[in-house]
Amino acid sequence: MPATAKPKNAPLKEWLRRAAKLSPYLWVLPALTVYGIFKLYPLVSGLQMSLLRWDGIEEPRYIGLRNFQRILSDEMTATVLMNNVHYAVGTVVGKIVLSLFLAILLHQALRGRTFYRTSLFMPVVMSFVVVGVLWSWLFNPQFGLINSLLRGLGLDFLVQDWLGDAAVALNSLILVDIWKWYGFHMVIFLAGLQSIPDELYEAARIDGASGWQQFLHVTLPMLHPVMIVNVTISVMGAFNVFDIPFIMTAGGPANATNVMALHIYIRGFKFYRFGFSAALSYVLLVIVTLVAAIQLKLMTSGDNTD
Amino acid sequence: MSAAQLSRQAAKRQSLHWRPLLVKVFNHSILILFTVIIVYPVLWMILASFKTPGELISNIWGLPASPAYQNYADAWEKARLGRALLNSGIVSIGAVLAVVCLSSIAGYAFAKFSFRFSTVILLVFVFTMQAPVPIIPFYVLFVRLKLTDSYLGLILAIASGTIPLSIFIFQAFFRSIPNELREAAKIDGCSEFAAFLRVVMPISGPAVATVSILTFVGAWNEYFMPLLLIRSDELRPLTLTIQVFFLQFGRAEWNVIFATLSIASIPMILIYVLLQRWFIRGLTSGSIKG
Repeated sequence: MPATAKPKNAPLKEWLRRAAKLSPYLWVLPALTVYGIFKLYPLVSGLQMSLLRWDGIEEPRYIGLRNFQRILSDEMTATVLMNNVHYAVGTVVGKIVLSLFLAILLHQALRGRTFYRTSLFMPVVMSFVVVGVLWSWLFNPQFGLINSLLRGLGLDFLVQDWLGDAAVALNSLILVDIWKWYGFHMVIFLAGLQSIPDELYEAARIDGASGWQQFLHVTLPMLHPVMIVNVTISVMGAFNVFDIPFIMTAGGPANATNVMALHIYIRGFKFYRFGFSAALSYVLLVIVTLVAAIQLKLMTSGDNTD
Repeated sequence: MSAAQLSRQAAKRQSLHWRPLLVKVFNHSILILFTVIIVYPVLWMILASFKTPGELISNIWGLPASPAYQNYADAWEKARLGRALLNSGIVSIGAVLAVVCLSSIAGYAFAKFSFRFSTVILLVFVFTMQAPVPIIPFYVLFVRLKLTDSYLGLILAIASGTIPLSIFIFQAFFRSIPNELREAAKIDGCSEFAAFLRVVMPISGPAVATVSILTFVGAWNEYFMPLLLIRSDELRPLTLTIQVFFLQFGRAEWNVIFATLSIASIPMILIYVLLQRWFIRGLTSGSIKG
């Protein structure tokens, strides 16, 4: 503020100061408004829509809980949910094992650490659209890199139609998801490893602990908080996954890669069953919340036994 | 000690001597293997973008005989990438501005003022930020507010998802700034807000950078929101443009597809390599404290 303006505006400024002090709410209001309107409001307003039979154009009709009854009796729901569970198990195990293993390697004094870390993290900054389109060519049964590599290595029995075979397609998508994200989880594990004091390892070594024992009794327990973060992020990602199956397989073949988020989108915007789709969203919301709660409960109750 | 024992000990010492080197070789080979698995497909994509359709089939692993620059001209024109880049730029920068402004102000209040319901509000953020938004009510809301098919709508849709995490990042940073600074500014006659704007924000570069990178990368790569909200060709951002182009021409012109993929990802990869420390810190900041 210019010093000359000070006396003139003094009362106004005094008032402003007091207003600011009295109402921190004003500071929070803009962010809360945007978040409230675009995130919280749809979470609530959809509840009413889930009770409707509505195609988005004609007059909606109130049908009570019938959408939910239909979801529960629909075989499709179970198929799609099992795909999510399969996807979650595959991606979480793959990402955690791989990224922890690489983080431990990278934690040692090693030349080229920054190079490795930078390279392995790179897919995180790429769009899933680019990754999905690229990999659908790499998976091409005739001309793709993967089958070409397998043939070159003499592993012809592994050659397959990665995205076209219903028995394989979901696992192929899981591979792509792991490929894009393991660098991310590795960096988080690496930060966790760096926070473990060296004295703990020294003490373990004096007690005669082998490398493997040190890993089991020092590294893993000390990494527990980071482990919770990594598992939570990848579990949530797996239950909300949309981009990869939508772009690479559109849920096919024969719903082998159809997942909840995709199912919700297709019911809503391909078949215009707005009410049904809204109801499905709440089923997904409840499932995601339950899974997160159970997972956190399991992982934090382990703390007491350590 | 027998000779056999001695020689066994010598062998053990020898193996101990060799062990660090073996471990090193093992570590490097594994890390190189996984680096190749990550980097090679991306390098291959760039190489493939210079190949002819025939080469994509006959020459899978080799270099293109002569670089087919025409792929890039075709990609630029057919997919209208210029327009797509502009749209992605506007939306990403808009989202960064919106998120930085809204969440720095709110984060400051949570860090420095005590007020009723502040904990409640933060808890609401924690419990809802990860929740998948039901897309039907979300879409209907945007239709009713006439925010479909507009930059503003897309910016708000993306920003609203990033706000809670950004508030937490700003709050943690502002907590670390001593109160004396702000008191001194106020003694000099600054209002609370002026103190925030002129004294606190200028030294908050790290937090601003973290939130900006997080938001920018997310917005640039966002695919679902434009799929839901953008209808007209003119407003399609890069991600949606690529996907539409892929559906139209994908089966026939893979070389051109690879050119579009390269144009879409090379700038981001270059910026990432130059600023990798910042990127890695920014993109993992929600998961690692400090």
